[in-house]
Amino acid sequence: MLALQYVRSMPAYALVRATGGHATVATSDLSMLHLGDVPEPALPGPAWMRVRPNLSGICGSDTSAITGHVSLYLDPLTSYPFVPGHEVVGELEDGTRVVVEPALGCLVRGIAPVCARCAEGRPGLCENVTEGAVEVGLQTGYCASTGGGWGEVLVAHESQLHAIPDGLPDGAAVLIEPLACCVHAALRGGARPDDVVVVQGAGTIGLLTVAAVRLFTPPKRLIAVAKYPFQREQAKLLGADMLVAPGEVFQRVRFATGARRLEGVDRPLLLGGADLTFECTGSSRGLNDAVRFTRAGGRVVAVGMPGEEKVDWGPIWQRELTVTGAYAYGTEEMGERTFELALGAARDLPLKQLTGPLFSLGDYRDAIAYALHAGRQNAVKVAFDLRDLRA
Amino acid sequence: MKFELITDLRTVRSGWHWGGVRPASWPEGAPGVPARASNLDWARQEPVRSLRWLIQRGLSAPFARAMTGLRVEGAEWLRDQNRPAILAANHVSHADTVVLLAALPDRVREQTVVGAAADYWYQRPMLGRLVGLWLNTFPFVRTGSAQAVLHSSSQLLKSGWNLLIYPEGTRSPDGRMGRFTPGVGHLANETRSPVVPIHVRGTHRVMPKGRPYFLPAPVEVRFGKPLEARKGEGSRAFTQRVEDAVRNLGQGTAEREVMGSWIDRWRAAAPQNGGR
Amino acid sequence: MGRPGAVIEVDRNTPPTLFHYGEGVRLEKLPLGSRIIYAPDPMEPVAHTERAVRRALGHPLEDDPLKELLRPGMKLTVAFDDLSLPLPPMAQPDVRQLVLEEVIEMAAEKGVEDVHLIAANSLHRRMTADEIRHIVGDRIFSTFYPDQLYNHDAEDPEGNVLIGTTSEGEEVTLSRRATESDLVVYVNLTFVPMDGGHKSLATGLGSYRSVRAHHTVDTLVNSRSYMHPPDSALHHSCVRQGQLIEDTVRCFHIETSVNNHSFPAVANFMQKRETDWTPADQASFLAIKQLTDLAPPGVKRAAFHSMRAPYGLTSVQAGQVDAVHDRTLETVRRQMLVEVEGQTDIVTIGIPYLGPYNVNAILNPVLVVCMGLGYLFNLYRGRPVVRQGGVVIMAHPCRYEFDSVQHPSYIDFYDEVLADTRDPAEIERKYEQCFADDPWYRQLYRKSNAYHGVHPFYAWYWAAHALQHVGDVIVVGGERTAVHHLGFKCASTLADALEMAEQTVGRYPSVTHLRLPPLFLADVQ
Repeated sequence: MLALQYVRSMPAYALVRATGGHATVATSDLSMLHLGDVPEPALPGPAWMRVRPNLSGICGSDTSAITGHVSLYLDPLTSYPFVPGHEVVGELEDGTRVVVEPALGCLVRGIAPVCARCAEGRPGLCENVTEGAVEVGLQTGYCASTGGGWGEVLVAHESQLHAIPDGLPDGAAVLIEPLACCVHAALRGGARPDDVVVVQGAGTIGLLTVAAVRLFTPPKRLIAVAKYPFQREQAKLLGADMLVAPGEVFQRVRFATGARRLEGVDRPLLLGGADLTFECTGSSRGLNDAVRFTRAGGRVVAVGMPGEEKVDWGPIWQRELTVTGAYAYGTEEMGERTFELALGAARDLPLKQLTGPLFSLGDYRDAIAYALHAGRQNAVKVAFDLRDLRA
Repeated sequence: MKFELITDLRTVRSGWHWGGVRPASWPEGAPGVPARASNLDWARQEPVRSLRWLIQRGLSAPFARAMTGLRVEGAEWLRDQNRPAILAANHVSHADTVVLLAALPDRVREQTVVGAAADYWYQRPMLGRLVGLWLNTFPFVRTGSAQAVLHSSSQLLKSGWNLLIYPEGTRSPDGRMGRFTPGVGHLANETRSPVVPIHVRGTHRVMPKGRPYFLPAPVEVRFGKPLEARKGEGSRAFTQRVEDAVRNLGQGTAEREVMGSWIDRWRAAAPQNGGR
Repeated sequence: MGRPGAVIEVDRNTPPTLFHYGEGVRLEKLPLGSRIIYAPDPMEPVAHTERAVRRALGHPLEDDPLKELLRPGMKLTVAFDDLSLPLPPMAQPDVRQLVLEEVIEMAAEKGVEDVHLIAANSLHRRMTADEIRHIVGDRIFSTFYPDQLYNHDAEDPEGNVLIGTTSEGEEVTLSRRATESDLVVYVNLTFVPMDGGHKSLATGLGSYRSVRAHHTVDTLVNSRSYMHPPDSALHHSCVRQGQLIEDTVRCFHIETSVNNHSFPAVANFMQKRETDWTPADQASFLAIKQLTDLAPPGVKRAAFHSMRAPYGLTSVQAGQVDAVHDRTLETVRRQMLVEVEGQTDIVTIGIPYLGPYNVNAILNPVLVVCMGLGYLFNLYRGRPVVRQGGVVIMAHPCRYEFDSVQHPSYIDFYDEVLADTRDPAEIERKYEQCFADDPWYRQLYRKSNAYHGVHPFYAWYWAAHALQHVGDVIVVGGERTAVHHLGFKCASTLADALEMAEQTVGRYPSVTHLRLPPLFLADVQ
C-alpha cells in the first residue's frame, strides 16, 4: 500500500535539526519521512478491523516530529517505522464511516486486568503502552504495527471506532479527534461561570478549545489570543468574547480582569489576571506569557504540544499556579466518552470551514510546508485526502 | 691649609657608626629643635588658586557629579553666608571631600579650605602638595598639640576662609557616624564662627575605608541651618549640638532646629545683589 | 494693541495657508473664495509685571488686601494651575511664579509658618519635580518641595472631604488641606475663556465625585460653547459648586491672563499671518518642514515639546472670584475675539502637536479628537463656525501611538471602548464607572504620572457637542485604521477631503479655515 512512513534515523534527525526544521529539508529524501510502498499492517487480533482513511489531518505533533522539534521524551514511547496520522476519518470494509480514537490503552492491547489509569478511563495515560498485541506506542499514528492515517489502510481495535452520524461531513469529522482533545482540556480546566478565561493560540487546538470551553464550561469572559485576522474571525464564530493579538495580550487581559500591570525587564506581569489559561501554542513565549498573566493561584492548562521549551519557573513558584497538561481523551468524569461528547458537540459547531486545503498523499511536501504556516495562509486544518487512492 | 677631609670623614664615620646600629647605651633620641611649621600658603596664592579653579570646575566637580548623581539639599543655607564658617561633616570616605566641594555653591567652594590629617596626607611631600593644589587642604594635626592646630585654623578663619573639617577625626569603618571630637566646638567658640552641619550619605559605597578604588554610587548631601554657640555654652555642649544636627540631617528630619522654618529658607534663597 | 483679528477671503494672490499637522507643518492651497480666520495680534503686555502683581494684591476687587488677611499662626494654602496651560508652556519665569513669589513674600513678612502649595491638577496627571519647578521657579521650589509643595491627589481617601451638595444635587469635594486652611489663595492663569473663575477651585482641588457632576455628556452637549461661560452648562454647574466652596472656605482668588504670543522666534511663521511672512520666516518654514518630514518621531517630539512660548502678562486681578473673573475674561476676550460673519459648510483645522493633556507626551488619536472637535471646534461664541450638518476637516497624522506612562487608560479606552461604541452617551453609561474604579489606573494616577482612569472619557465627551453638530469629520493625512476606528473618514490630501465633503454638504460649499494657534474666539454673527 502507499503510505508515508517515518523512520528513526539519527543522521536524518541531525540534518533536519541543523537546518532548524526547514520544510524543504524536513521533507526531502534525506529526512525521516518517506513516501513509498509499505506492507499493509496485519490484524493483530480478532477484535481488530481494517479502516480505509478518507481524510487524515496533519497535526501539530506530526509537523513537530517531522521538523525535529518534538520532545525527545516521546521517543521511547514510540515504535519505528510508523505511518503517521491520527486524526482519521475513514470507512470500514462494510462502508460504515468512522472516526478513530487513536489511544492504545490496555483494552486495545488486550491486556487484562487493565492498568490503574485505564481503569480510571484515561487510556491516554496507559502504563502498558509497551505490552500486548501491538508494538510500543501511545496512539495510532505513532505505532509500528497499527499503520496510520497517512496510508491507504490502518488497523484499529473495535473499541477505537466511533460511527459518524450521517449529517456530519468528512471535512468536519476529521476534526473530531482534536476536538476531543480540547473537550478534555476544557473539562480538565473546569472554568467556573464567573471566571475570565484566556485561550492562547488560535490554530486548530486553540480554536477548538475556544469552542469546547464555550460549550462545556461557559465562563464570564472568554478571551482568545490570535495572531492573524482570519483566526480572530474564526475564534469569534466559535464563541470568544474578546479577540486579542499576541502583542497586546497583557494590556487587554489586564483590562478585562481589572488587574494591575507591572513592567518587567523582559516582559510585563499582572497582579491579578486571568483565572484560567489554556496554552495552545506550546511555545516558550506563550508559556512564559501565560504564567505571568494568569492570576496567583490560577490554573494554566498546557493543551498545545510543547517541546523542550525554556520557561521561567519564578512566576509558577511565586503565584502558586496549578500547571496541568491536557493530552488526550478517554472517559470523562461525568461518565461519557470524550469522543462521544465531541461528536455531539460537532453538530452545533461550524467545523467544516476549518478544514482545508486538502492534498493528495503524493503532494505531501507541499502539504507539510503549507501546514507549517497554516495560520499565515488563512488555513486551520490541512489534511490529506486519500479517497482518490481507492478509485 | 691642610686637606683633612679624608681624616674628618673617617672620624665622623666611626664616631657615629655609619651603617651600623645606634648603640644601645645612647640615651633616647629626640629632634631637639621645634619642627618647622608646614607652610602651605602657596596653596592659597595665585596662580595656584586659578589653577585649582580650573581643575575643580573643569574636572573634579563634573566628575563627582557624574559618578554620584549628586543630590544636594539645603544649599541655600550657604548662599547668604557672608561670614567665614566652619563646615562640619561626617566622614566615611576619601570621596567625601571631592563630593562636598562639588556640592558647595561656586562662590563658597572658592573660599573653602579643607582640614586634612597631617599624619596621613602630609607624610609624603608629593601627596601633600597634590591635595593642597587640588583640594586646598591644610595639615590638620590629629595628635599632639591642639593649640598649634587651633592657631592655624583660626588664622585661616580670620583671614576669610571657610573651613571644612570632619570632627569625627577619622573615616567611619562601616558608614555609620562616630562621635565628634570637641575640637570643632572649641574652634567655633574661639573664633565665634558659625558651624554649618553637613551630612553626606552614599560615599561609603563609592569608596569605603580600605578600598583603593572607587565605583559609582548615588550620593546625597544635606546642608543644615548654620549653628552658633549660645551664650555661655561650652565647647563640649556645642559640639554635641553640632553632632546632633548632623545626625538629624542624616535621618532626613524636617526639624526646625536643623532645617529652619520655610521662612528662613525663603530668606536664605533670596536673590543676591538686590534682584528685586 | 496690534491689529484686531481678521477674516480674509482667499483670492488668486493669497499665499498658501499654513496647516499644523501634528509634529509637522504643511502649506495648503485653499479654494478661491474660502475664508481664513486669524487671531488678533498679541496685546501689549503689562509694562512692569512685579508692580502690577503687587498692585493687584494690594488693591483687590471686593476683598481686603492680601496682606491684611495674613497673620502669624494661620494655616495658608496656595493652589495654582497645573501645566495643562498655557500651551505651549511659558518661557521662564512663568506668570504663576511671579504671583506666587509675591504671595509667599507677603506670607514670610507676616510670619505665616504653616504654608502649603498645591498644584491644582485635579484628575490630570501628577507633574514631575522639574515641571513643578518650571512653574513655580527655583526659589519656591527649593524652599518648599517636597513637603510643602506637592500635587493634589484626588484619589487620596484621607486627603479629600465632601463639603456638601449644591441645590442641583452636585456633590462638592475639596482637598482636606484646603478645607482645614484659614485662607486658600488660588493663583490662576486664564488661557482661554473656559479656564478660571469658580472652575479653578471646584475642579482643581476636587475629586472624581465633584468633577463627574459636570463633566458629563449631557452638560457638555448643553454647553454652547464651553468657551463662553454664560452659555455653558458646565460653567453654571461649576459656579454652583464654587459658591458652596466659598461658603465653606475663605478664598482669595488671583487671576492672570497672557497675550497670544505663542511661539518663540524660530517658529515666528506659526505666529504670523502668511501675508506677513518675511524671507526669514519663509526660510524657517522650509527648514522646519524639511526637518519634520525627515526626522524620526522621537526627535521631532523632543524638539517640538522643548518649545517655550514668550507670552506676556496682560492682566492680573485679585480678590473675590466673580469680580476677578469678570475682569479677566474681559481682557481674554479682547485678546481672542474675532468677528465672523455667518456660518460655513466646511471648516478646516490643522491640529497642532500639543493639547492640554499631552505636555511632554504623544497626542494620541483620542486626544486628536478632543483637540479638534473639543477645544478648537468650541472656540466660538453664539453659534459654531460650521453649520449644523457641516463637515470638519482636520489635518493630523493620527497614528496609533500612545504614551504608556501618561495615558494608560487612553489605550484601553481606544481598544476596548471605541471598538464597541463611539456614542458618548452610551460610552458614559456602559464604561465610565468601570474605568473610574479600576485599581490600576488609580495607582498609576496616584504614584506615577498618569492621567486618571476616566480622563479619556472626558476627552471624548469634550467632543460630544461637535459630534452631534457636524455631519462628517474627515482627517487629512491620518493613519487609515486609526481614523476609521475613531469613526471618521480619511483623506490623503486636502483636495480629496474637500471633494469627499461635497458629498455631505453639496456642491460649491463655503469653506472656512481656522488658522490657529494662536488661538481666537470666533464671534459668529
